Amino acid sequence: MLKFAFSRLLSAIPTLFIVSVAVFGLVRLIPGDPASLMLGDLADADMLAEARSAMGLDRPIPVQFALWLGNVVQGDLGRSVLNGQPVLDLVLQRFATSAQMVLIAVGLAVLIAVPLGMIAAWRQNSGLDLAIVALSTLLLSVPTFWLGLMILLALGLKLGWLPVLGYVSIADNAAAGLVYLIMPVLTLVLHEAGIIVRMARASTLDVLRLDYITHARAKGLSESAVLLRHAARNAFGPTWTLIGLILGNLLGGVAVVETVFTIPGLGRLIVDAIYARDYAVVQGCLLFVAFTYLLVNLLVDLLYPLFDPRVTAE
Amino acid sequence: MSLSRSLLCAFLSSASFAVPGLAAANTLTVQITADIRSSQPGINRDAGTDSVLLNVVEGLVAAGEDGEIRPMLASGWTVSEDGRTYTFSLREGVKFHNGATMTADDVRWSLEKLLRDPEYSCKAFFDGSRDAKVESITAPDAKTVVITLDRPDAMLLKYMAQAQCGSTAIVHRDSFNPDGTWKAPIATGPFVFGTWKRSEGLVLTKFADYAITGDKPDGYGGRKEVLVDEVKYVVVPDTATAVAGLRSGALDVLPYLPPSEAAKLKDDKDFTVVAAPHGGLVTMLFQTADPLMSNVAMRRAVVAALDTPQIVESVTYGLGVPNNSLVASASRYHTAAQDKGYIHDPSAVPALLQEAGYKGETINILTNRRSAINYDTAVIAQAMLQAAGINAEIEVLEWASQLDRFNSGKYQIMAFNYSNRSDPALAFQTVVGSKAKNANAVWDDPAVGERVNAALQEADPAKRQAIFDDLHARFLDQVPLVMLANGLDVGVSGPRVTGYRTWQGFARFWGVSHSE
Repeated sequence: MLKFAFSRLLSAIPTLFIVSVAVFGLVRLIPGDPASLMLGDLADADMLAEARSAMGLDRPIPVQFALWLGNVVQGDLGRSVLNGQPVLDLVLQRFATSAQMVLIAVGLAVLIAVPLGMIAAWRQNSGLDLAIVALSTLLLSVPTFWLGLMILLALGLKLGWLPVLGYVSIADNAAAGLVYLIMPVLTLVLHEAGIIVRMARASTLDVLRLDYITHARAKGLSESAVLLRHAARNAFGPTWTLIGLILGNLLGGVAVVETVFTIPGLGRLIVDAIYARDYAVVQGCLLFVAFTYLLVNLLVDLLYPLFDPRVTAE
Repeated sequence: MSLSRSLLCAFLSSASFAVPGLAAANTLTVQITADIRSSQPGINRDAGTDSVLLNVVEGLVAAGEDGEIRPMLASGWTVSEDGRTYTFSLREGVKFHNGATMTADDVRWSLEKLLRDPEYSCKAFFDGSRDAKVESITAPDAKTVVITLDRPDAMLLKYMAQAQCGSTAIVHRDSFNPDGTWKAPIATGPFVFGTWKRSEGLVLTKFADYAITGDKPDGYGGRKEVLVDEVKYVVVPDTATAVAGLRSGALDVLPYLPPSEAAKLKDDKDFTVVAAPHGGLVTMLFQTADPLMSNVAMRRAVVAALDTPQIVESVTYGLGVPNNSLVASASRYHTAAQDKGYIHDPSAVPALLQEAGYKGETINILTNRRSAINYDTAVIAQAMLQAAGINAEIEVLEWASQLDRFNSGKYQIMAFNYSNRSDPALAFQTVVGSKAKNANAVWDDPAVGERVNAALQEADPAKRQAIFDDLHARFLDQVPLVMLANGLDVGVSGPRVTGYRTWQGFARFWGVSHSE
């Protein structure tokens, strides 16, 4: 398994290099000049040229890329032109904020959605199945910004149970931090649970149609034993892969939810940096997101054999 | 209050950055849509940063309500006959936030440090590259500071007072680390810079030893009496969330609200909506180097097709004031001559189009969605132009892309806002220039450029008035752009707030009280 993990990590290097080239190139393909945005409408041609020179934007793009990549290899992702902070510090700080919200949300979504999906499959075509499928379809169809705003208006404004804005880090104050996370986590749980329910139901249905399940039933095992002991573990494999993808995706930032609930997370950092053409931050964030995605998927692959013995991490 | 809610409050009040809605008494909680860029005035700034920091810092002079210069840390000043030497007398008993009494040497040191900083956003105003160069700053005695220029410059005090220049703030040496890097502002303003949690918000606390001067608030000058213990700024980027925060009591003031949102709150007795035009310019720019728009008859046809008061009424939800002059509607120089504006006359359009040789070519109007005013202006203007027989289309760009097109001059018509210009001469200077030298110049007329330079150098109000009146007449004749209105600042305060007002797009928190 260690050899497998090591080889996967090694194979991540060319992937990250390709990502870095793509990110560096794409960011510069977007129309808009960081120097213009920095100076606004006060700028004249001389001031713009001076600002561009100070930012190193007057150099040829391959030279800019080589300098940036050289620094990245040494662990220096550069500095934000917006506030002068080191990009790595910014990314790690914002990632920690996003991660605490996303990990709680995905954990809860899995705990709720996987059993619901399995129950729906077990009671296929019943009223319960229809209700679960309808609800999950509704949840995954509703845009997160709308869902978030409705939750905010209901729990924050109408009922007054929760603070409508602000943020406290769990590291600073665990109790208050958790209170602030309730609404954003609830939004994410509802949305992601909809997707997971669908996958859990579909994969359970596939397993329930296999011969060994018919055999188990023929042996006289109870339905709960068939479902929990024989079907659940095998059915969880594809769902586990989906959870990995969801986790990787969400860890890369949930900008909409972070904006609605004033959470200073990675998603908001990326969006703000794109609007400001803060190249160093955009590049640093996207490279970090790609790395996180690779890492999460590696972990998913390493853990997959726990659910499906036919698969080995070799 | 229910037990569960009491417990929740107890949880939240223990947070390090307290909950806005449950904050201690006499705390004013204010929305900012984005975090401040830095805590150093005039360095790495934007309008939001200026608005926060100008509650903390002060300069020798300040802009008054009418845009004219008022004394701030200086009690007065004299200008030498040759216009090159400015001698400032300092107020007595002014203290920095660290308790030190301000001296002339502190002022000299702070000014030199700022004006020599390569990142100072206004260095072009003081280093000779745009206007006069500051040759020396001296402190001949403990109460006097002398600034000497290489040539006369009637705009020096205006530049020093500009918000974009951080009001050329005077800060104590302890604002810097021993290695010369910036630490935090230790200044003389009515609020002390407190806790700053990046991307979350910051707190300003009342400066107990603030040296109050003047009888009443007057722009950034005058009386600055602080009536709250602290002002807590919370970063809330989303307008819907901010309005929910205001309704729940978690926020007390939303200083920058889109007019459409403010219109919804206008009739709610719990909230006070304040709206005032500032020195910004809401415009539709013509690219006068474009083959079609270079023809003045074509530009006149466009203007005749536009009902500009109706556009302003619609895009500002009745909160804006139409103004077809580059002299701001609130300026002392905005006289009856400046009230003369465009004439909406669709019947005159066909003749003007024929004179321009217009053959139905498509005219592109660039706009963006970041500014609802820009977007709505473009949509309404397109309809009006099409109704008058002009084939106009809209191209919506993301803001950075539009700014790029503005700076490169690649457009035909562009809905565009300029930020606040504190003096009419600066407003004219913004749009007038050589396109060969600056692609973002709009009005390229050397004779007009000379008149603008004359306004920049002229100190006599009567002579300045004559220049502005002449420039406005030329402006209406040549139509280099459509001036619709001055920038509009709309804010709203909650039921517990008294005295909040808006001025020039800035959120000032002296004279504002907050009750439980």
